[in-house]
Amino acid sequence: MNNKELNWIYLFISHIKRDILINSRSLFDIVSIFGFMLLIIILFPMGIGPIQEKLDIVSNAVLWIGLIIAIIPSLEKMIQRDYTNGWLDQIATSPIPLEIVLLAKSISHWIIVIIPLIITSPIFAILLGLEFNQIPWLILSMSIGGLSICFIGIIGAALILGARRGNVLLPVIILPLIIPILIFGVGVNESIKIGLSPLPNLFLLIAFSLIYLVISPFISAILIRIAISR
Amino acid sequence: MFDWLANPNRFNRITNKIQPILLLASLITIILGLYFGLYDSPKDYQQGHAVRIMYVHVPSAWLASGLYLLLAISSIFYIVWKHPLADLMSRSTAPIGALFSLLTLATGSLWGKPMWGTWWVWDARLTSMLILFFFYLGYILLSNAFERKIDGSKSAAVLAIVGIINLPIIKFSVDWWHTLHQPSSLLKFDGPTIDGQMLLPLVLMIIGFCSFASYIIILNVKTKLIEKKCEALILKLNLNEISNIR
Repeated sequence: MNNKELNWIYLFISHIKRDILINSRSLFDIVSIFGFMLLIIILFPMGIGPIQEKLDIVSNAVLWIGLIIAIIPSLEKMIQRDYTNGWLDQIATSPIPLEIVLLAKSISHWIIVIIPLIITSPIFAILLGLEFNQIPWLILSMSIGGLSICFIGIIGAALILGARRGNVLLPVIILPLIIPILIFGVGVNESIKIGLSPLPNLFLLIAFSLIYLVISPFISAILIRIAISR
Repeated sequence: MFDWLANPNRFNRITNKIQPILLLASLITIILGLYFGLYDSPKDYQQGHAVRIMYVHVPSAWLASGLYLLLAISSIFYIVWKHPLADLMSRSTAPIGALFSLLTLATGSLWGKPMWGTWWVWDARLTSMLILFFFYLGYILLSNAFERKIDGSKSAAVLAIVGIINLPIIKFSVDWWHTLHQPSSLLKFDGPTIDGQMLLPLVLMIIGFCSFASYIIILNVKTKLIEKKCEALILKLNLNEISNIR
């Protein structure tokens, strides 16, 4: 391993550490995301009624929609603060590759926001009356899907940098890109429910995550350079 | 070729010649197509008279996805070669494409009610057309979301390029998933599987819609060019005034 590669890995890890440290000082944000998801999960059975059979049909979809809707408002904050205080300008003009920083940012957002939701997801699953054997698959599919939502989200967050009413714009822009994740993520648990192997849907989910992993750092780096240049 | 067209004056000169031809062609073909489509073609043995919706539905569906390709290509030109005209091109293409995709969805659901029994099905092709509409919407919203209009151009262009993923999904969704929507009957390796009497009005309508869309887009680009000139003039006048005061 030559010196340059070593530097990049070091950079990557130190940026993840930095983001986790910054976000750990404002734990209220993470708790509010958890509360938001809990609210969505509670509201659905209220609307559907207390009949378990009806709930069984939608429970997987409700969990995923709750996850997506709870995460979307937080995606904007991924780079907004660093953009407004000028940190991103400094990084973009320095020799540090912006792509690595952005990759670190999306992964640290996954660690900060999605991991707590996934750890608490058995609670949501119990609230919606999921079978016990589905919970490991739920955790697996949600962590992979959540990672790709973070990759998409950083593209969306970079798109709306400096825009008016960006927080309204962000969902409109990224929801079409999230739809495949939602379909295959729900598909993992739906196929267990009807007694099929969950692996095909899981593999498709992983494939989509890998595609977004490859394209998202580069596209968002282009977008951030555009945003800084104006 | 695009370098050559990127000069606004040359663009104006060329399109001044093309525009009347496009308007005339679209009027003639749409009127003829409507005549053949609505009166002088047989009704389908299964669908009855409702098949005539196809003569509007298919051309607008083609245009909805075709215009997205145009939007994406001109966005690529804007990102790579930074021609301001390419930006105007994509800005004027997006609303037209959005309208055509809305028209596709509307005529499709009008046709779906008597044929399938519902206004809307969550079928692969319908869903991907709806997603296409959302991409158009996202482009329009994003490109107008900034204080100065020009600021949004590049970001929106990148969004348009990312959205290309959806196009092949629309094209092949009907072949991949055999759901309610029927497979394509016009573009096939072994020739179209559609009767000649129905093919003629359909082809006429497609030509008419295409030339109409290009006429409107060129008109849109020209309007935006004039707007830009006006803005430049106003800036100039203001500068003169300021210097006079001094």
